[in-house]
Amino acid sequence: MSTELKTTGLKTDEMIINMGPQHPATHGVLRLLLTLDGEFVKHVEPVIGHLHRAQEWQGQNRTWFQYQALIDRVDYLSGMFTSWALSRAAEKIEGIKIPLRAEYMRVMVSEMNRITSHLLWLGTYLIDLGAMFGFPFYPFREREKLLDLLEAVAGQRMMFNYIRIGGVQREAPPGWFAKLKAFTEEFPDRVDEYEAIVTKNPIFLKRTRGIGNLKKEVAMDYGVTGPSLRASGVPMDLRRTKPYSVYDRLKFEVPVMEGDGDTWARYMCRIKEMRQSNEIVKQCLDQIPGGTPEELREKRKACNSCGKADCPNCGGDLQIMVKKQNAGLRIKAGEGFEAVESPRGILGCYVVSTGGDTAYRFKWRNPSFSNLSVLPVLLLDHPIADIMAIFGSLDVILPDVDR
Amino acid sequence: MSHEPAAEKPAEVTLEPGPFGQFLLEHGIPSKRLANSAGDVETIELEGQHLEAALKRLRNSSEIALDFLVAVSGVDSPESFDSVYHLWSYSNLSELVIKVCTPKSQVPAGQLPLVPSLAPFWNAANWHERETYDLVGIRYVGHPYLRRILNPWDWEGYPLRRDYKQPVDALNDKNPYSFR
Repeated sequence: MSTELKTTGLKTDEMIINMGPQHPATHGVLRLLLTLDGEFVKHVEPVIGHLHRAQEWQGQNRTWFQYQALIDRVDYLSGMFTSWALSRAAEKIEGIKIPLRAEYMRVMVSEMNRITSHLLWLGTYLIDLGAMFGFPFYPFREREKLLDLLEAVAGQRMMFNYIRIGGVQREAPPGWFAKLKAFTEEFPDRVDEYEAIVTKNPIFLKRTRGIGNLKKEVAMDYGVTGPSLRASGVPMDLRRTKPYSVYDRLKFEVPVMEGDGDTWARYMCRIKEMRQSNEIVKQCLDQIPGGTPEELREKRKACNSCGKADCPNCGGDLQIMVKKQNAGLRIKAGEGFEAVESPRGILGCYVVSTGGDTAYRFKWRNPSFSNLSVLPVLLLDHPIADIMAIFGSLDVILPDVDR
Repeated sequence: MSHEPAAEKPAEVTLEPGPFGQFLLEHGIPSKRLANSAGDVETIELEGQHLEAALKRLRNSSEIALDFLVAVSGVDSPESFDSVYHLWSYSNLSELVIKVCTPKSQVPAGQLPLVPSLAPFWNAANWHERETYDLVGIRYVGHPYLRRILNPWDWEGYPLRRDYKQPVDALNDKNPYSFR
């Protein structure tokens, strides 16, 4: 579309510009082919796949036991959720019901993981917007504490491999519950701190208010999920709409934003979610059957850790794993699709098993993949300067897109 | 051997159509119910020619409202290429799995199985169909931009097929063409 300027007689033309794949603000390697009319975006083609590691292929060529360690790398900011989706799919096919204590541990570590993921998003998003004055390090202060706790329980800071088929890997170390409780007490004040700096900051509001509007119908048409969808006013959260695990025993709100779903609404939705996740962790600490590991150990002295199913101190729901795994883990023939609500949206795992020690087919339904596909619609007619403000607000993780 | 009787197949049990199959039948769309996948989700098999009509019905009917296309997957089964659609609803708890199976015997050598595309009327299918085309090699007829999405644009072969061979022995450093 070329236009002629009346005053000078010069012609303007559309220009195709390549953005990325190594743009610092794309959180990975995303390439955008932009068609620009002056400052304004007329067409976008996201080119993905630079981080493709053939995770599905590897799943078909590795045993279940090996693959569990690998899938944390699918979405490196929320490794708990990928393990959880895989474990749930396998457990569903196998028909395993996992102990209640393990379910509570899963919910607890996953919600902690959700907070760390949102905190990292908050810090990097503000850097994307140019807020380099030191604020981005505030969220990392709290994230560090949570990562220390997750490291204490899982042995790794990011690639946890903690949630396993049949339960969780190990019991929390002594003192872990108390430290986590102390964290949950102080965390709401810290979120207040972030909000005091960011939420009503005039520069932040100018950069985010009213841009990148995602209408409800468009979001539903493209299969957008997670906070990006709830910011557009669709109350869809798997934890509430199809409660899995023990979410039906926990009281929490699902933040849904009214209005036109702009970039600011997506920010606000994540901030509110962090508070709710904190509440969930708190309730889990109170409700978990067996209490803290120290209490449990005291109780088990009475029966000398017999491990019998009918023992009130070690049986059934107080275990953390149905049965210890070994490398020869096999899953029955069958197929199943299981999904969890990850920080980015609905993370699904479709497994076809033929009864061997490897699966026949894996398919990951990654939230970032579907969320990114709506980007061309969001960027239309926005200036170049808004591209990163809008893209960052979707909270896309490129390894999650490319697998 | 030819004179021996063929191995007797286990008698196929014809399942009664479930609620969604019944709904489609009322609107003149035949479907075949398959055994439920794990977790008792209704699973049906559709002919490719009925796919578009069926999905439009299921999506737009107000009481069923299967308006959330979660994923489109491709499976290279021993006998057929399956295109699998997982449908959920934003407003209720319905779930449905639809399979479109193209028997391998019907796919001419050197060609791809053909399945009608949903992308023209459902944007959620767009990238998922591109991905399935890229990895499993199912050609979605009517897709506006059917191009490889995760692999490079000039990649050869379909990596998630069971008979896929790597074009270059990527991990062998004796091979002059390897990536190392």
